[in-house]
This record gives sequence, structure tokens and C-alpha cells, in this order.
Amino acid sequence: MSPNASDAVGRAERRDTAADVPRRRRTPVPVRQAVVLSGLAVGAVVVSAASWAGTPVTVGNVGGMVVVGLSLGAIYAVSASGLVVVYTTTGVFNFAQGAVGMYWAFVYWELRVNRGWPAPVALALVVLVLAPLGGVLLDRAVMRRLRNLPLVLQLMVTVGLMVAFMGIAATQWQGDRGRTVLPFFGHTGSFEVIGVTVTWHRLITILVAAAIALLLRLLLFRARLGVAMRAVVDSRSLAALNGANGEAVSATAWAIGSSLAAVAGILIAPESQLVVDVLTLVVIDAFAAAAVGRMRSLPWTFAGALLLGVGQQFIRRFLSFDDGFANMHEALPTILLFVVVILLPQAQLRARGVSAQLARRTLRLTDVKESTVGVAALFMLVLAWTGGTLPFTDAWSSVGINRGVTMMVTAIIMLSLVPLTGWAGQVSFAPLAFAGVGAVIFAKITGDTGSAYGLVLAAALTAPVGALMALPAVRLQGLYLALASMAFARGFELLFFTQTAVIDPNRGGRQFAPLSIGGWELTGTGRGYLLALTVVFGAMVTGLVALRRSRWGRRWVAMKDSEAAAATLGINVIETKVAVFVLSAAMAGFGGALFGLQVGTLNVLQFELLVGLPIVLLLVVGGVSLPAAALFGGVNTVLFIVIKDRWDYSWLSALEVLGPGIMAVVMVLNPAGAVAEIGRGFARFLPWRADARAAYAAEVAANREPEPGELGLSRPFTAADMVATERALSVANELARPGHDGAAAAMTVERPAP
Amino acid sequence: MTGTMTGDGRRARLEARGVTVRFGGLAALSDASVDVRAGEVVGLIGPNGAGKTTLFDVICGLRAPDAGSVVLEGADITGRSVHRRARLGIARTFQKLEVFGNLSAVDNVRVAVEMRRRWDRSPMRPLAEAAAVLERVGIAAVAGEAVAGLPTGTARLVELARALATNPRVLLLDEPSSGLDDSETSEVAGLVRSLCDDGLAVLLVEHDMSFVMDICERIFVLDFGRIIAEGSPQDVRVDPAVQAAYLGTEAAPMNGHRQAP
Amino acid sequence: MTRGDADSSRARVGPVAPVLELHGVRAGYGQIEVLHGVDLSVAAGEVLALFGPNGAGKTTTLGVCSGQIRPSAGSVRLMGTMVNGARPHALARAGVCLIPEGRGIFPNLTVRENLRMATYSGVAYARVEERAFEQFPRLAERRTQLAGTLSGGEQQMLAISRGLATDPALLLLDELSMGLAPMIVAELYERVGEMAAAGLSILIVEQFAQSVLGVADRAAVMLGGRVQQVGEPESIAAALGGAYLDGH
Repeated sequence: MSPNASDAVGRAERRDTAADVPRRRRTPVPVRQAVVLSGLAVGAVVVSAASWAGTPVTVGNVGGMVVVGLSLGAIYAVSASGLVVVYTTTGVFNFAQGAVGMYWAFVYWELRVNRGWPAPVALALVVLVLAPLGGVLLDRAVMRRLRNLPLVLQLMVTVGLMVAFMGIAATQWQGDRGRTVLPFFGHTGSFEVIGVTVTWHRLITILVAAAIALLLRLLLFRARLGVAMRAVVDSRSLAALNGANGEAVSATAWAIGSSLAAVAGILIAPESQLVVDVLTLVVIDAFAAAAVGRMRSLPWTFAGALLLGVGQQFIRRFLSFDDGFANMHEALPTILLFVVVILLPQAQLRARGVSAQLARRTLRLTDVKESTVGVAALFMLVLAWTGGTLPFTDAWSSVGINRGVTMMVTAIIMLSLVPLTGWAGQVSFAPLAFAGVGAVIFAKITGDTGSAYGLVLAAALTAPVGALMALPAVRLQGLYLALASMAFARGFELLFFTQTAVIDPNRGGRQFAPLSIGGWELTGTGRGYLLALTVVFGAMVTGLVALRRSRWGRRWVAMKDSEAAAATLGINVIETKVAVFVLSAAMAGFGGALFGLQVGTLNVLQFELLVGLPIVLLLVVGGVSLPAAALFGGVNTVLFIVIKDRWDYSWLSALEVLGPGIMAVVMVLNPAGAVAEIGRGFARFLPWRADARAAYAAEVAANREPEPGELGLSRPFTAADMVATERALSVANELARPGHDGAAAAMTVERPAP
Repeated sequence: MTGTMTGDGRRARLEARGVTVRFGGLAALSDASVDVRAGEVVGLIGPNGAGKTTLFDVICGLRAPDAGSVVLEGADITGRSVHRRARLGIARTFQKLEVFGNLSAVDNVRVAVEMRRRWDRSPMRPLAEAAAVLERVGIAAVAGEAVAGLPTGTARLVELARALATNPRVLLLDEPSSGLDDSETSEVAGLVRSLCDDGLAVLLVEHDMSFVMDICERIFVLDFGRIIAEGSPQDVRVDPAVQAAYLGTEAAPMNGHRQAP
Repeated sequence: MTRGDADSSRARVGPVAPVLELHGVRAGYGQIEVLHGVDLSVAAGEVLALFGPNGAGKTTTLGVCSGQIRPSAGSVRLMGTMVNGARPHALARAGVCLIPEGRGIFPNLTVRENLRMATYSGVAYARVEERAFEQFPRLAERRTQLAGTLSGGEQQMLAISRGLATDPALLLLDELSMGLAPMIVAELYERVGEMAAAGLSILIVEQFAQSVLGVADRAAVMLGGRVQQVGEPESIAAALGGAYLDGH
């Protein structure tokens, strides 16, 4: 309850006598929601009618749909309820919920299948011991430090955790290989009820979910610990005033969340195969279910999950879509997530105060001159590289050049997030979706003629797509925006890039002719292309540096710091947000076109959500508000590939995923970003940064305490040292005097007369 | 108790008429009306939770009232969005600081000056003008520093400067003196008075009563979301309903003390 | 010596070991210092009322006493023991009970669940419930209702019933009367008075002096982060009008 509302509760006491009952002015929100919902219902019916597969509606079919749907929904519900319990009690939204479940499913499989443990023992060990311990460990090591960080960093760290878990599992078990996990009672164990076949596994799944629902209910409403968990949701500080230990409550929530993730992972593995990506993406289903419960209500979360499961089975059994929409059942959670986000009421502009941001070190802005110098240095370096003067044998081979191109293209796509996330504070996990749109547009328009206008068009035509994603963003803030962007990226992956009209999977060969600019021909893998990309990247960096110093840059940063205050200055918050989304999409689209030119042939896999996450993470690790961080991100992306390539150890096999994930998690320790730290260290070597040298000297001086042995020997003994020594000696004398308690003397303070 | 020092013939620049705001069916403001004239400093006082900041939110558009209207120079602006009202000349500061912590002090003000270009056609150089506003508020020395690192008092002055930079017609100040030391407070008082001499209308919420009593020509007293008294500082000080509201006595009944507009 | 003897002798001798003692406490939020050296003591069995205008630092003082805010200087002693920097839940279990400003209840828990939270103090649930319902029979009628749906007065009753039912060593009350009708405030303070008579040590923070005059043994005025004056409740209250409305 907000302080205002709680005031109002009391205020009403005296109002009871007042006769006036003010009329409501605004249209009640439910009307709008009802309109949207009925529109969607009509849409669903129309789609269903149009795509009806002709499956006979028999008891067997409908019953089968319900049983399979409920068992799937039950798994989503278990995972989502872990998400909700953790989010409500700790305030951290765990994007890694699916990945955690995936990891424990692998551990279970390892024990059960590889080591041949009996199922009950393996199950008990994983679900009741290892997973809860892992949850507590995560809370202690990472999550506890997240509580007071800005939301962007909170989200990035849990996404980092998700990617890291994928990396760990892939390293440990080569998880992209398809494996089947036996259901608890073998493959075929099943029985039949009124013509509906029910496998034991599905029955067990449904029963387990029901039992978990019951246990959670009992815990949260009967046990004092559970009551304390709900109390923490209302007010963490008041719970502490009652004597409940908030840290212990949080740790319990993480233990429960982790355990529920494990249960969900183990239950779904036999249904979906034991594959890292597939199990990790269960989290999207969990998001959608939790969003139905507004991230708070467990009953609604369960309802959302069951609806989702049955809905997916309905699509699979009764509808048939063209090839392009063949993933419709997989896309259902994405669609549901988007619908819920649209139905949410408008977030109110609210004055929040800046106390949370106080006392943070702020960065000096790079100026255009510095950026130009830096970019020139980069260009010289790349020139030396392509000229073969760098002392790495393979750097200028065709493989090396191609990696350089990958580095630059990645860095350019990363740049698109600098104004959006770094300055305007809008989280987006969808840069690759925009890049994909840009690549497709370029391929369609001028890809085969090599005309450079196509690049411009790719940027210009991707921009409106950015406005499309801004639609939920302008209404919502923070977490829901992040979820919407994830749903957006996943939706594009499943429903847009799969269209043959968009990317034709049967079309082989290069879709991109060499780019021709003013008589120059640039193939997507050549040295000229790498040099051109370096110039383009440099120009974009310098442009961004100038933009950050312009009124638009200031306005975006101002809006991030306080939307309410920005609006009271006359800033149209909606217009300003849409503008930055449009800019970001255009930049990503441009980068995507350059990517297309490099790879030559487009396919669906290039623009998947999960492929995009490491890109976002590496930029954030570098420091998302700095254009230079994009170079850091690009370099690291390639570095991981190079390392993996060079040293063929099995523990490096998933480095390109593991690396960014772990780096993002470690970011908790240094939220400012790596580039800022590096910059602070290097600045004093730049001839024009006298200020940095002065700051460094001051820091060194502050860290140096005079030690008795070094006085007058390693450095001159100054008057200040003399005074300090004098004082130290007199204090020592005071304390040495017998019968004198120096500390007590210092504590004696005048007390007010009683 | 309609005694005002500015005379009754002047039209109100800003009026809030019969504003009611309810949180979940409970009234934070009920039928509250205040008005400010050009060149006048009007105080809004009342115990904790009386609804003062909520009334500010309604006036600047951050919260839609359940009933009542906001009128700027005779025109009803109740349905306008926050940024539209800002462009029409309503500026405010916040009780809990809402500065742009990642920007320098001068850039905080510059954002405001640059926005003004949207509706103010007069030629200007934003940077120079922002620096001039900082000078006027007396914090030119910290122009280049990031606001997140400034002490509260100074940050509050940055907010004041930022509000002034929009060239407002009505200025809403929410506790302008909190976090300021005595000399800063008197400087702000002097500044507010000189702004009014230039024709600005100022409505301020303040807990420092000496500040309010010194600076305001009229005072509205808000309690339980209702205006329980209105008048000159002297009148308000001795008003039994006000005494009761502040000291919690039952000297006077709470209802029936509202002034007819 | 029987227990009763010990109690009565302590009462005769007067405040030798204060239950709560603040010495030169400085504290604040981030870089902003709100308390600039607060000295204050509450003797065993004493009721001290702390008055002051908004922003004087009253709530911050309570925050320091309950462990929510760590003092940057000075000492906080609870029955003679230094407790600087102890965490709120530890202090709560040690017997410091703060009823915070603006309804110290969990709105989404039922009345019973709210009372259940009070059992962290070590008192059995049956006893907490029994005493709470005995003192505020209205709560008994609403035991299964969500606390957020209670009226303001009932919410406040629920909030203080935690203080009254768990035998704390020290009760801290923050602006109990805020937003409540005078009659309800009077009823609440009547209960507080009964507890005081039974020997509970209480620190009451109030803006409205009138409501606590019947309960307080001593009163203090806070202004600008310091305790300005300590004395008889009546004389302090008489001077308050000036403090609030003139700012002096």
C-alpha cells in the first residue's frame, strides 16, 4: 500500500459524515480490457475456423487434448509458481528460472541414467537437497547484492545467470545433442479412461503439480515462515520490526524457487527431450503464466499455466497452419505474454525521489574530439591488421578477417542499444530481431544488385518496427517492458523469420551481391569490407558521442532519471520514448544488413532470441551507456571464438555462451561497467586529461598512510606528516597514562536535565 | 476571512476548484479549492498527510482528480497532459527530489531551456541562459558537477532553477526550504519574492512556518483533504480550527470550516 | 527478596538504568544527516512523549532506536548494552517494539496472520491473540478479515496490539493519531495508558500534543535534528504552538 493510500485509509474516518459523493470522471479500466479481450476472443475464433484441420471432435481427441494440455500446463505452473514466490518475496525477477530447471534436469539425468541410481534417490537428492542448496547459494552470492541495483542491472544479471547455466550445461553434457529421458514408469506405461489414453508420467505430473499447489498453499497460509514470506511482500521493514529475519525469508524463497524449477525441469524433460535450449525456454511459458497472475497471484498463475498448456494442445490437435506458422503452438506463450502486457493498465507517472541513485559516481562525458582520436587509432590498428603487419600468424588470413568483420558487425548492432538502454533506460532483449528485419529488407530490396541504397533503406524501414515495439513500452515500465521485448524477439523468431516470403529456406547460395560504393566492390568477407566497417563503426560512435551531448541525449537521460520531472518541464514522454526506439531499431536494422552482407545467406537460426542475449549482455558488461562498450563487446564476442578455436579443450566447448553469462553475473561487483573502469585507468595517459592525472594523484595520496618506517626515507618528510605524527604520539601518551580511560572520556556528553 | 493584501479585484491566475481525489474509495482530497493571483505568494500548509502534495500532483497533471477542475487564467486545463500544462506555464518542484542525477547541474537546467524552444519563439542560447538561471539561484559554482553527488540542499536549488528555466506563469514549490541551511533559506525567500515582483504566481507547500509566515500573502490550511481555513498569516495563526488541526485538540469541530470560494 | 520487592524498590529509587539511552546520536539517509546529536533517555516504566514539527527528526530517532537506521556517531544503549548497528529483527526479538507511522500492519494478511507475525517476539500465539482480543474486542470480530479492509482505527488497534500483547521491554509509538478521529485516538491512548500503568516503558512520538498529555510522564521537543527541551508535558505542550506555527 502506498503511503498516500494508507493516509487515506485513516482520513476516511472523519469523512463518514460528509454527504457529498463525488462522481467518477474517467472511464473505468475494465471497459477497455473487456473490449480488448472480446476482440481477441473473436480473433481466436476466426483464426481457429480458418485453420481448422478437420480433426474429428471426439471424446478421445478432446480428452487427449485436455490430459496432455493439463500435464504440460502443470509443469509450466510449477515453474511459474517458483518465479512468483521468488519475485514477490525478494523483488528479483529470475529470468534464469528455466535455465536453473534445465540444469537440475541434467543433473537428475546424470544420476539416474549415467550412474544408474534408483529414481527416488536421485529425485530426492536433486529436488530436496541440491536444488534448494543451489538456490540459497545463488541468493547469498548474487541475488542479495541485486536488491539495491537499478532494474536494468538486475535484469541483466539474472539473464546472465540464465546464459551462464546454459553454458555450464552445454560444457558438462554437450547439451545440444538430443537425448531422451525415460518417464518414471517407462515409455509405455499408461491406462485408459473413457477412451482417453493417459500415460503414468502425465498423471504423475498433474498430481505433482496439484500437490505442490496444496503445499504452497499450506506453507504460505498455515506456517509462520510462509506468513512471514507474505508479510515481506507487504513491507520488508515492518516484517523486520516484528522480528522476522528478512534475509532468512529471502533465502527460503530462493530455495523453494530453485526446487520448483528443478521439479519442472525433470518433469518436462521426457516430454520435450533433454536439450539445453528447449528446457531453458520453458521460462517463456512460465513468464506468460506468471504474467496472467500479474506476477503476484499464485491461483491466477496456475490458471494461466493450465490455459496455456491446453491451448497449445488445442492448436496442435485441431488446427493446421502453413509452414510459416507451423510454430504457432510454441508461439502461444509469447502471444499470451503480449496480450497480458497490452491489457495491463497504464503505468502512472510517479515521483519516486532519487535517494536510490544518490552518491553514485557519475562519468565524465567523452567529447567529439576524443572520440575522433580514438576512432582514428582504431582505424590505424585495423589497417595494420589487414595489411598483415600485426604479429599474429592467422589474424589476416581469411578466417581472421572474417572474425574481424564479425566483431565490427556485432559492435554496430550493439551500438543500437546504447541510446535505448544506456541513455533512455529502456530494456530491450530484441536487438537481433531488428537486425534480422534489416537484413531481410536489404536482401529483398537491393541485396542482389549490391546497391548501397539498400543499407539506408534497411535502416529506414526497420525504424517503424521499432515504433511497433515501443507501443507497450510507452505504457509500461521496467520489468514488463523487458518481458515484452523478449516476447517480441521470440515471436519474430517463431512466426516472422519462418515465413518463406521472409527467408526462403529452400533458396541456397548467396542472397547478397558484393556491395558497390562509388566504383568500389566490397565482398562481405574481404579486407576492404572490414576497413569500411571500421569507418562506419567509427562514424556511428562519434555520431553517438555527439548525440549524447545534444539536446536529445540530455532529454533521454533526463527521462530515465525522472519521467515525472521530465514531463513537468514540457517533455512529451511518449514522443521521446518512441523516438529512441525508432533510432535504436534503425541502427540495429542497418547493422543487420551489414551482417547479411557478411554471411551471404540468411536463415532463421541467426536471429534467435537466445543468440541475441550474449550480445546484449556483453554490451552491458562493457557499460551500456558508453559507445566504446560496443567495441569491448565486439572484441569479446570474437575473443571467445578465437580462444575456443585455438585451445581445443572440452571445457571450452561452450565458451561463447558461458563467457558472457559469467561476465554478466560478475557485473554485480562492478555495475559501472568494464569500459568505465578501463577508461578511468587509462585516462591519465592521455595528454589532454590533466584532470584525470590530478584525480589519480589525489587518489594515490589518499590511499597512502604514513608508516613509521618510511617517514623521511622513501619520500620527503613534510609538515603535514609532522603534525600527524605529533597527534598520534599525544594520543598514545593519553592512552598510556595509568587510570585514564580515553574512550570513556570521549563518550561523556552533556545530558539534558531530566 | 477573505482578507488579502492584494485586493479582490484581480483575477486568479491559477485556480483549483473543488478538487476531490480518492485512493481506493477513500478521499485524500475532498472538494478542495485554492487560487493564486499573479504576483502573489500563496502558502499551503497542513499536518502530515493532509493532501498537499496530492493537490500539487492534480494541478500539474500527474494525477487526474475524481472531481473538480484546474483552471489556468480562465481556461480549464483539467484534461491536459502534464507536458501540455508545463508548456502552458505550470512548473513545479518535488518534495522528494526529482533531479536528473546523471546530468550535470547546468544540463539539468539546460534540458528545461531547450524544451522551451517548442513553445517560446524568442531567440535564446540555451547554455548561456541555463548558466544565468543557476547564477540567479546562487549555485553557479556547481554548474559542472553531476547532481547525484550534490548535497540535498543544493540539489533542491537545482530543481528550483530547472523549474524557473521553463519561464513559468505559475510556480508550485513543494517544501523549498527543506534541506537548506538558514542562509540558503533566506536567499530562496528573497528569490521567491523577487520572482513575484516580476509577476509570477507562486503556490508553496512548506513545513518551516517562519518561512511561510514571512513570505506568503495568503495561506490555505489543508486538513484531512479539506481546506479548513484561508487568510493572511496573522488570521491563520490564531484560527482555532488551525490550532486544533495542528495540536489535535477537539477545540473546534472539523466540518463546516471550509470557506466559500 | 521476592520479585515484587525488586520492582517496587526500583520504582522508588527512580531511573538508574534507563531502558533506552541515546548519546550524541547522529544519523541520516545517505549523505543527508537528519539527526545532529540527539540525547534522550527513557527510564524503566517511564512514558516519554517526543513532540516536534515535521522534519525535526522524530521518526528518524525511532528508526535509530529500532535498528532500521544505523547511527553514524554516538551511542544507542538498550538497558545499558550498546546496540549500535544491531539489525531490526534482532532488536525486535530483544524486546524493542516499534509501531511505525501510518499503520504498522500487513494489509494483505488477515488479522490473525498479522498477530501471528507478532509471535517472533517469543510469546505464544494463543497468548498474543487472547490479549489482543481482550484489549480490542472489535478485532476478534474481524479475525479472518484482511487487515487492509479494516477501518483506520481498527488497523491502528491491530498495530498496537502487537506492542501490547508481546510484553516488549520498550514500546516505540510513531504518530499513532495520524489520520484518526479524536475519539478513536483517545481510545487508543487509553489502552496505552493502561500498559504504562502496568510498568511498560514507552517512547511516544506525536505531532498532536493534546492527545498524549494524560499518558506521558515527561515530554521533549525536537527541532532541527536535536532535542531542544525536556520537561513537564503540560509546559512543553503549551510552548508547542509557537514551535509549529512560528517555526521558533
